[in-house]
Amino acid sequence: MEKTRPYTGPPLISFYPGISFIQNSLATAILSKSFTKTMQTPVTIPVPVLRLPRGPDGFSRGFAPDGRRAPLRPEVPEIQECPIAQESLESQEQRARAALRERYLRSLLAMVGHQVSFTLHEGVRVAAHFGATDLDVANFYVSQLQTPIGVQAEALLRCSDIISYTFKP
Amino acid sequence: MTMRQTPLTCSGHTRPVVDLAFSGITPYGYFLISACKDGKPMLRQGDTGDWIGTFLGHKGAVWGATLNKDATKAATAAADFTAKVWDAVSGDELMTLAHKHIVKTVDFTQDSNYLLTGGQDKLLRIYDLNKPEAEPKEISGHTSGIKKALWCSEDKQILSADDKTVRLWDHATMTEVKSLNFNMSVSSMEYIPEGEILVITYGRSIAFHSAVSLDPIKSFEAPATINSASLHPEKEFLVAGGEDFKLYKYDYNSGEELESYKGHFGPIHCVRFSPDGELYASGSEDGTLRLWQTVVGKTYGLWKCVLPEEIASENSDCIYPSAPDVKA
Repeated sequence: MEKTRPYTGPPLISFYPGISFIQNSLATAILSKSFTKTMQTPVTIPVPVLRLPRGPDGFSRGFAPDGRRAPLRPEVPEIQECPIAQESLESQEQRARAALRERYLRSLLAMVGHQVSFTLHEGVRVAAHFGATDLDVANFYVSQLQTPIGVQAEALLRCSDIISYTFKP
Repeated sequence: MTMRQTPLTCSGHTRPVVDLAFSGITPYGYFLISACKDGKPMLRQGDTGDWIGTFLGHKGAVWGATLNKDATKAATAAADFTAKVWDAVSGDELMTLAHKHIVKTVDFTQDSNYLLTGGQDKLLRIYDLNKPEAEPKEISGHTSGIKKALWCSEDKQILSADDKTVRLWDHATMTEVKSLNFNMSVSSMEYIPEGEILVITYGRSIAFHSAVSLDPIKSFEAPATINSASLHPEKEFLVAGGEDFKLYKYDYNSGEELESYKGHFGPIHCVRFSPDGELYASGSEDGTLRLWQTVVGKTYGLWKCVLPEEIASENSDCIYPSAPDVKA
């Protein structure tokens, strides 16, 4: 591949009137050579990150009471329709939903690499090594799927076909 | 085009980080505890490094910290002559166990019923956590301060390291079974239950011994004095760090140096692989913890794999780290 001479900027002569013509062209030649050399080394990209790890908040010791692993506060049966109480009921429900969703997602994570038994429609049972799920949990990617007609190395199981599944962590 | 390792720096400590430990894999993921000379050990989410909480109560440098398997309890060993047991969910202090000198190391049994401690008073102590008022069982024999003590062989035996020896004790009889002598100071010890392997570092050596017989399996020499090493759960790699501020990654089978990373601004005191082997954490004199990917470029935790086409396009989700972290 022919390497075109890289652009190193306007000729140095115009910026450094004091430097002689010979010195200038030498400088240009050295600059262009080192620049070409840099171009020849492999380009490495730093692995991108979504964000940096969160640090301490600076005012509390943490362990947020409504944090990840705290037990959910039991629903208080509020009969009065005070708007503030209504809000807290809704936000409690939202928190409960969020906690359950998180638990489900973590259960999927825990399944990766494990042998899982699926119960499908029509009384069909299959077993496979769980690989991954897609964003909407519509398909499970599995490997070594043991079916009544043989073992499939890689397969996609449609989640709408699955009645239940079980695994030992 | 190759991907360059991007370490994730966890800040928050104000003094050197001297010990770190991961929990097992729990339904909530896995967790990381760091022991620091500032006396404030911290709990973090293991895969992201996000701070969860700080255990407040010690009145001196914390030299050792550990989590039980399901990350419900934490234990810390400190220069204030106490070991403390904490509720790792709420951050509350559960027990303070008084000692006669600086406590350096703590370890839970698999069932979290007993806590092993060791320190400068040269005694190994076993506390029954269900009977905190009862006196602990004591094992004597070490002739210098105990640096590390670990349960092994399904909690039927105890491994302990002091300055120049590593000793194996039987739990039931509380007697010494075997010992190893070293010419150089033992800097760290790690026990791998699957395969009963013991990782010992001393001088520039990283040595692997059988945890059952203490017989040597193999050893590697690093370019600099090593303070800590960790073996990957699948035993494919090991990582080590020490006095030259660098982290080294070796192939366990061949001993070939695979990668080395600069990044810390001080000697590395502790290195550990996560329980799933996807990342390793290092704690340094510079007061930071850094998380490193085992497979560089893989999508995991906060790291995001990017396909070549995506790099050119504007992606506001991802941020590139600032230059100092990136230099490898």
